[in-house]
Amino acid sequence: MAPLDNNEPRKIGDPLKIPQIECGAMADTNTFAAAPEHNEPLGFPGELLENWKEVAIAKIGELADKNRAFRVYLDTCVKCGACTDKCHYFLGTGDPKNMPVARQDLLRSVYRRYYTFAGKYFPWLVGARDLTKEVLDEWYTYYHQCSQCRRCSVACPYGIDTAEISMAAREVLDSVGMGQKYCNEIIAKLKKTGNNLGMNPKALRATLEDLEEDLEDETGIAVKIPLDVKGADILLITPSADFFAEPHIDGLLGYAKVFHAAGVSWTISSYASEAANFGMFIGSYENMREVSWRIRQAAKDLGVKRIVFGECGHAWRVGYSFLNTLAGPFDFLDQNYPIPQHIMEFTSDAIDDGLLKIDKSRNDEFVMTFHDSCNVARGSAMGRQEGGQFDLPRKVLKAVCNHYHDMERDTIRENTFCCGGGGGLLTDDLMDLRIKGAKPRMNALQQVTEDHGVTHMAAICAICKTQFSKVMPKFGYEMDNIMSVHQLVANAVILDGQEDEADQAKAEETP
Amino acid sequence: MAYDVNGTAVEHDEEGYITNLGEWSKELADVIAKAEEIEMDEEHWAVVNFLRDYYEEYQIAPAVRVLIKSIKKSMGPEVGNNKYMYELFPYGPAKQACKIAGLPKPTGCV
Amino acid sequence: MISTVYAVLFYVATLMMVVGTGMKVLKYARTSAPLKIPVSPAPRTKRGVWFRMAREVVLFESLFKSNKWIWLFAYLFHFGMLLVLLRHFRYFQMEIWWWVELVQPFGKYASFAMLAGLIGLLIRRIFQQRIRYISAPSDYLMLALLLLIAVSGTMMTFVSKVDIISVKAFMLGLLRFRIETMPVEPVLLIHLGSVALLMIIFPISKLMHAPGLFFSPSRTQVDNAREFRHLSAWAAQLPDLPEGIPAPEEKK
Repeated sequence: MAPLDNNEPRKIGDPLKIPQIECGAMADTNTFAAAPEHNEPLGFPGELLENWKEVAIAKIGELADKNRAFRVYLDTCVKCGACTDKCHYFLGTGDPKNMPVARQDLLRSVYRRYYTFAGKYFPWLVGARDLTKEVLDEWYTYYHQCSQCRRCSVACPYGIDTAEISMAAREVLDSVGMGQKYCNEIIAKLKKTGNNLGMNPKALRATLEDLEEDLEDETGIAVKIPLDVKGADILLITPSADFFAEPHIDGLLGYAKVFHAAGVSWTISSYASEAANFGMFIGSYENMREVSWRIRQAAKDLGVKRIVFGECGHAWRVGYSFLNTLAGPFDFLDQNYPIPQHIMEFTSDAIDDGLLKIDKSRNDEFVMTFHDSCNVARGSAMGRQEGGQFDLPRKVLKAVCNHYHDMERDTIRENTFCCGGGGGLLTDDLMDLRIKGAKPRMNALQQVTEDHGVTHMAAICAICKTQFSKVMPKFGYEMDNIMSVHQLVANAVILDGQEDEADQAKAEETP
Repeated sequence: MAYDVNGTAVEHDEEGYITNLGEWSKELADVIAKAEEIEMDEEHWAVVNFLRDYYEEYQIAPAVRVLIKSIKKSMGPEVGNNKYMYELFPYGPAKQACKIAGLPKPTGCV
Repeated sequence: MISTVYAVLFYVATLMMVVGTGMKVLKYARTSAPLKIPVSPAPRTKRGVWFRMAREVVLFESLFKSNKWIWLFAYLFHFGMLLVLLRHFRYFQMEIWWWVELVQPFGKYASFAMLAGLIGLLIRRIFQQRIRYISAPSDYLMLALLLLIAVSGTMMTFVSKVDIISVKAFMLGLLRFRIETMPVEPVLLIHLGSVALLMIIFPISKLMHAPGLFFSPSRTQVDNAREFRHLSAWAAQLPDLPEGIPAPEEKK
């Protein structure tokens, strides 16, 4: 595979520029298919069923009966076209089947053929078509070019959410044995080891001890990253990438410092050592529930009072919007705190309560901007105010950094662009799609780099962080120009008893 | 899909990770490295050997940070840093080095 | 003869529209929403959702934010049509309500707004590359049908006036299950025929977007998943999962 940085950086463009359509541009971009050992642990057939057609059609009917969104969204689209220029994959590739409505139509056309009057008797009139192997393959291709980011849903006058259609389509594909390797292998691994990485408790403990060592070297203080501590107050559920990848790990160190400074007792669970829940990406309620349930089990087993989620985008959607449904009721936890709570809510409160001693100048080398992660922005909330999912991370960033600038309004907050790697597409075999899909966000970043000298971008999602560290070199940045928000918090927080000469000098300067 | 090691076929998956971890050998590592356009030298081997030892102990590859810390200890800070690791393994010390070391690919959001 | 045909047509069309749409709406209402999926930022209270929906219905807020041209044409069309429809109340009333009286002059000229909107939408559909790509024959035909209704209606108001007293008598008769004689004017027959057709296809076409909006979970759900547990009927029936943690596997 070619190294990432041997191309010329791509030049600044308008992040919202609409390309001419180019039919079939991405028709050959396919993600690796799951093997039987990836499909079966999830309750799906290992390989393509012989009677796949009947099964798929029946599954569509079942989903229409079980999910109001699916049924209503298939019926109500008027093809107004308002969503056609909203998908980052369309903007990046020009393939018309990456326009949200066209993506929905891949399945809608089949639903109409078998489940609606017009489609049964006048298929040519309403664009209905038979389900064939070619159609099935087309679904596999294009429903794995959707990151389920919901940007199109914001634009739709009826709120039609392509993510719902895309999840349903993947569920149909799984039900006939056409799973995607990346997602299904990971879910299978989680069921075995408790996390997406497949990191066993022994390895997890060793890693955390190693990080504690780093923290002590840095601060001179024994900051703990506890594992499986019964009776701790807080159970931290964080993406396993926080134990493994950069800059994720720096975020984890940030949580540890905040918890330490706030003086709370907390723990990670080796049984539920994963916030990510890929069950959502494949639209499987049952798998999503099973993965979520581990959190409940761990919380009960450890006897914690609160659950706090680390920086992970779709995990927070599942955590905020679905966890109570899937694994509730959480009547055994402390009802005085939101269940679950986001680390950003925790840190924000800690700042308000004056629990953190902060030296902003420690982040002076960075000129920051913030990338709103799609699932946090459009599928969840934070804090007590509407829009807290936008305001809290910015508030925390501004509390720990002196230099901050937002990107263009139409590319942030509820209009934010997906990083290009969400929704189960963060796999090397889709690197071409990932780079193209990142273009709108990268262009918006290049704008603020040009206008305000922004050097670094912070995010609160493991997928975003990994994606950007891989694709930023393609756009003239370094891989470490993407940072965790809590990495910046970690830089700026000064723990009690932590003093070095620079601090003392500064303390003497400022009375 | 297979690597050819002196006439013996070693199966690998779509991405080049060997399917049967027991079939790894130094010769195979050289073959994989060649396919990845990497010339194995002492520093590459230090990484690969550490990965294999770590895997032996923990059944998983180490976090990049853990890897770098260890290489820093054994080979000094000129080699033991993030940038240099990416020079050694342009596609990332975690994924590419794991492939050459015959370990499974790290999965998840990494 | 023609009066009888049209009378039957209107009874059938009304029945199809009311029953068909009713059945669909019932189906929507009965289909469960397994998860909380409001597109955020979303209101945290029921009242907030009412307000959000009111903005969507009255202002087409999301459309306004996402595409100004489509919003302009859609708005002209829909609100032109609303005024025109309100004006049509008079054909079904012996005693005309005061506000129907009031709306007459506006309704009269609103037909031009309606026409302008429809033509704008049609032009976009034909000439805008992306929208042409996603259009099926039915999408053009639907606009054509609406144009036919609007043009024929406007013509009767401004060009070739019909005997409106007889039309009203015919309509009032229908309401009382009596078939009065209607004037046999081609433009009237086209107008009424295409309206009947529209009513018939309402429940089996994309016109269902009108009731559908009120069942769109991403817009109508309250953002309160952490405070109130949302559980669909079928999900409540799923088999229980174990409460404890299984003992860790023995390490070899």
